[in-house]
Amino acid sequence: METEIAEKIGSRSSARADRGIRFSDRAFLMLILLALLGALAVVLVLSMGMGATRIGVREVLGCLLNGHRSGDTNSVILFEIRLPRVLASAFVGAALSVAGLLFQGLFRNPMADPYVIGSSGGAALGAGIGLFLLPRFSFLGFGATAAMGFVGSVATIALVYWLARIGGRVPVVTLLLAGFAVSTMLSYSTYFLVVLDDNFGLRTRVLASWLTGVIAVPRWSQLAVTAVMIAFGLICCLPLARRLNTLALGDEYARQVGVQVEKTHLAIILAGSLITAAAVSLGGVISFVGLIVPHMARLVLGPDHTRLLPVTAVAGSIFLVLGDTLARTVLAPSEIPVGLLTAFIGGPFFLYLLRRTRREYAL
Amino acid sequence: MTALLQFVDVSFSYEQHAIFADVNFCVEQGECGALIGPNGIGKTTLLRLAAGVLPCSHGSVSLAERRLDTLRRAEAARLVALVPQRFEVPFDFTVQQIVEQGRTPYLGFFTGLKRHDRRAVERALELTDVIYLRNRIFNELSGGERQRVKIALGLAQEPRLLLLDEPTQSLDLGRQLELLDCLRALNDEGVTILAAMHDLQLIPGTFSSVLLLEPDHEVRKGRPQDVLRPDVLERAFDCPPRRHPQLVDEKLAGENPAWLEKTS
Repeated sequence: METEIAEKIGSRSSARADRGIRFSDRAFLMLILLALLGALAVVLVLSMGMGATRIGVREVLGCLLNGHRSGDTNSVILFEIRLPRVLASAFVGAALSVAGLLFQGLFRNPMADPYVIGSSGGAALGAGIGLFLLPRFSFLGFGATAAMGFVGSVATIALVYWLARIGGRVPVVTLLLAGFAVSTMLSYSTYFLVVLDDNFGLRTRVLASWLTGVIAVPRWSQLAVTAVMIAFGLICCLPLARRLNTLALGDEYARQVGVQVEKTHLAIILAGSLITAAAVSLGGVISFVGLIVPHMARLVLGPDHTRLLPVTAVAGSIFLVLGDTLARTVLAPSEIPVGLLTAFIGGPFFLYLLRRTRREYAL
Repeated sequence: MTALLQFVDVSFSYEQHAIFADVNFCVEQGECGALIGPNGIGKTTLLRLAAGVLPCSHGSVSLAERRLDTLRRAEAARLVALVPQRFEVPFDFTVQQIVEQGRTPYLGFFTGLKRHDRRAVERALELTDVIYLRNRIFNELSGGERQRVKIALGLAQEPRLLLLDEPTQSLDLGRQLELLDCLRALNDEGVTILAAMHDLQLIPGTFSSVLLLEPDHEVRKGRPQDVLRPDVLERAFDCPPRRHPQLVDEKLAGENPAWLEKTS
């Protein structure tokens, strides 16, 4: 009898929850996503118009609709320089932000970021090795740089994960120390590759731009390969997002309710490395994007990863398209590396986060 | 009365260090059991064995007449829930979001919460009286509130058996009593409970049975009045409880109590 009454109360209040709170929650998420997608479109078009040659919005749209015509100078600029670069920065932004979100969930720590934990550095070293030692390797259109970047990133995260974990937890201190030590070693190892370059040529310059984070104008084939990597990585993230929520309550708890913790961790590392490697092969080591964007999204939407994932991807694109546009216009005609810009914005932000979590310093 | 949880000749060792050997006991459907024993005897380990989180080295642990080691983890999690002692959440999840995680064993790899899942979450929130906290952030709650939310998280699994690891630890007296009320209410609703308890005074009146884990790894089970007796506790806890009244007297009289002299 009592149970029956309780069940009635329960079902009534859950019906309310179904209609009221649930719906508005989802509607809010949809609204934010739509707004962000609209903003991304606007930012992409505006950014394509900016640069050494200014092209008006109407002309950009006209060119995009009419397709590539080789006679028209503006069309050549748009299709061979601006569009690939703007798309590349959108991909890199989405990839780094989602990778940051994944790693924060994996380490259960809001300070994790592909740069901070050395995954970007690992990818850069791997890509460098690919570039210098296996320049002719190719597999299904994936060059050695992308493939080795992936390997480098997986290896680095696995190492940092193993170093930083103490009794199933990853405290801020060990995470930052392990990440710092590993990524320092990696970046100096990458400089070592310069020694192998006999005539200080093109490859060294590519390497240098990787290490500072410059989004170069990619070839369309390169763009396609990274787009496939990022899209595949993001699709893999979809079922992982809910697992991240469960993992946030601790490995022990997640295991108890039937999550296969080790396999899930491995899946997160692989997906995160895949998209980090894609990002690094386009833009090199760009710091702190994966820290700033998920944090902002979390402030608005709360920590539910299923909601954060799409929002973080789109917001990350917007963030880096804006950043890269700024980087190539602010001191025009010369460019500053976008990695430098994000370091200037992200560095203080990182320190602010660190200060806020300072109570966790004690081990 | 049927045995819901049954330990048969269970042995367990951590890295060649034997913790239990040949433990036998059972918990019946509808029981409200308190698991007691001295520090380090392995109460938490025993609960984790009962939840199937740890596999036992020898013997068998059965739940509802099914051996735990033959069940998949998610299947076991629909029968038994363990409310852990330590529970840290790094992000600002709300109470509702946390309790929803209890539905994980019922969900497929791609599917989200369904109507039945929401109802189970709602019922868990209600039984532990935390509905009013649902939109609050877990990390900002007080100790007593957190403890109730943790229990709601366990209940969202709709388990036949609820295991709790020292649920009253670090709560003040009022919160302890509140929590015991909560456990009694759950038990009245038909939830079978086994809770590791530190504070023996809290046991009578709430728990229907006491399982004492003795130093020789026998489990002595009985009604509270049969187990919570000076001669039994003295041996199990290696302390003379009969001296307690005397100790209190000495304190009140302002004399140096016996235990102070001993340590100095």
